[in-house]
Amino acid sequence: MLTLAIPSKGRLKDNCNAWFASAGVTMEQTVGARGYRASFAGFPDVEVMLLSASEIASSLLAGDIHLGITGEDLLREEAPELAGRMHLVKPLGFGFADVVVAVSQYWIDVSTMADLDDVCAAYAATHRRRLRVATKYAQLTRSFFAEARISDYRIVPSAGATEGAPAAGTAEVIVDITTTGATLKDNGLKILDDGVILKSQAQLAASLTADWDAGARKACDALLSKLDPASPLYTTLAKQLP
Amino acid sequence: MAAFPYYDTLAIDALNAQAVALLGLFAERGYVREEPAVLQPAEIFLDRSGEEIRRRTFTLMDPSGRELCLRPDLTIPICRQAVEAGRPFPARIAYNGLVFRHQPGEPHRPTQFFQAGVELLGLEDRAAGETEILSLTIEALRVAGLKQFSLRIGDVALFGALVDALALPAQWRARLKRHFWRAGYVESLLYWLGHGDRTASLPGTRAELEALLDARADAPMAGRTREEIINRAMDRAAEAAALKLDAGVADAIAKLLDISGPAEAALASIRGLLKTAGINLDPQLAAMDGRLATLKSLGVDPGQVQFTAHFGRNMEYYTGFVFELSARDKEGPVQIAGGGRYDSMMEMLGAKKPISAIGCAIRTERVLAARNGGGA
Repeated sequence: MLTLAIPSKGRLKDNCNAWFASAGVTMEQTVGARGYRASFAGFPDVEVMLLSASEIASSLLAGDIHLGITGEDLLREEAPELAGRMHLVKPLGFGFADVVVAVSQYWIDVSTMADLDDVCAAYAATHRRRLRVATKYAQLTRSFFAEARISDYRIVPSAGATEGAPAAGTAEVIVDITTTGATLKDNGLKILDDGVILKSQAQLAASLTADWDAGARKACDALLSKLDPASPLYTTLAKQLP
Repeated sequence: MAAFPYYDTLAIDALNAQAVALLGLFAERGYVREEPAVLQPAEIFLDRSGEEIRRRTFTLMDPSGRELCLRPDLTIPICRQAVEAGRPFPARIAYNGLVFRHQPGEPHRPTQFFQAGVELLGLEDRAAGETEILSLTIEALRVAGLKQFSLRIGDVALFGALVDALALPAQWRARLKRHFWRAGYVESLLYWLGHGDRTASLPGTRAELEALLDARADAPMAGRTREEIINRAMDRAAEAAALKLDAGVADAIAKLLDISGPAEAALASIRGLLKTAGINLDPQLAAMDGRLATLKSLGVDPGQVQFTAHFGRNMEYYTGFVFELSARDKEGPVQIAGGGRYDSMMEMLGAKKPISAIGCAIRTERVLAARNGGGA
């Protein structure tokens, strides 16, 4: 049995369904059990689970599911080093969004990460505490800031409405996901010129730590050939499997 | 060594015997032994060392949601206690205990190891403090039975003084100093200096900047004052004009950062370079001469002392003299001890006035391995 998890709600779910439909794969929602399980017509060995996008990322990492569709931002946040743990099978061409570093438009003297580095250092020196960065992407933020050689800052975990943190006074800078930038703008924020951490989109990803028995491999081969007959998706994946 | 070391009876006995010898020496020299808790509030390390240290630190939540960590070093909690207890200075403190480090990308390195060390806090005579710590470190290694080791020395303040001697805007001088310890980064900053300002231009007058800010009055100030922003914007505009480094000087710095080799010859090359560039750093160089004389008087073979201008100690808190001692174990050279001056730490931890600080830490398990395995 192969388990595949897809997002349980929202635009990501609709896009997934459209992608399956375009490949001629029809999803049948299982009756009862509150509709969190489904199956594909003609694929009796594939079990489809409907989970939240972030649960899909953590389930892939834990090896609880074989395949999953979710945002690359969530995958990279969950597993900073993908090697040996996850394989990105195919970018799906929807769910585009950027993870970015944004500061207040009022900070007219700050337009690059180098400016932010100066401001972080000056802030630590004058205020005797570190500048706070609100984000739900702690891992991505840490490695990006490390690459930009910034160390004088603190991460403040944010569960939602991160863009409001600078106005609310709970953080000075944010790292957040944006599609059009409109929400950032509405909150008086701007993206730094070199502040794009990740250009993300929905990915079909495989867990390398799941139990890939013969049945799962066979079902996966059949499903991937149907979803994308033109590319050797399964062959590439099989090379990564232990 | 394994990621999760297991100490058998022999290892425990050897470590205990070594600890008795080292702590005995430290006590004899007036260092009192102290020991902070293994479990510490995470913020004392994060506030001092920034988010970067998180990558090397094991953090955890207590049941109430407070963030704790396993101590990644003993220096910070010891200095913090010295500040909070308001102890009289100079203070001489010794320690021997486990520290815990996550080793990202290096799964075979130990996640815990012993460090024995000393901190000398608040001694006004800096040269005397450096002699004391350097001598004590070398004596400690000898007491621990290690005969052969090599030494690498450097001075963060030498680079700071060099940067201060340059006709550069304050912000750029701060930038160069802040990133001195990051290999390669200073070179890229020097490159930018040679190629002009990389940032978008802002208007240079206060009135124009005021108008810009007024137009953004709805945006959050996000922790900075209007004055802070205007001042930095004006500095930056002024910078753009002043931001040219004489090609000869930039070249001299790049060459100087490259210098690495036997200490006496290296210092001679530095003197030559500085003379050509017309920069006077005599007090800093004299201090270096003094340290070399100390080493000679301790019977350290001058051929075993290397000077490195671009000292690669991956620790941002050093502010002056830095040193590193290495020996050989079965697999090759390993760093067995390191230390230096960190004069800004005590103020960052809340001291009301500047308090000098210098210390060293010895990787005792590596010393044992080098004594048993490598020797020569």
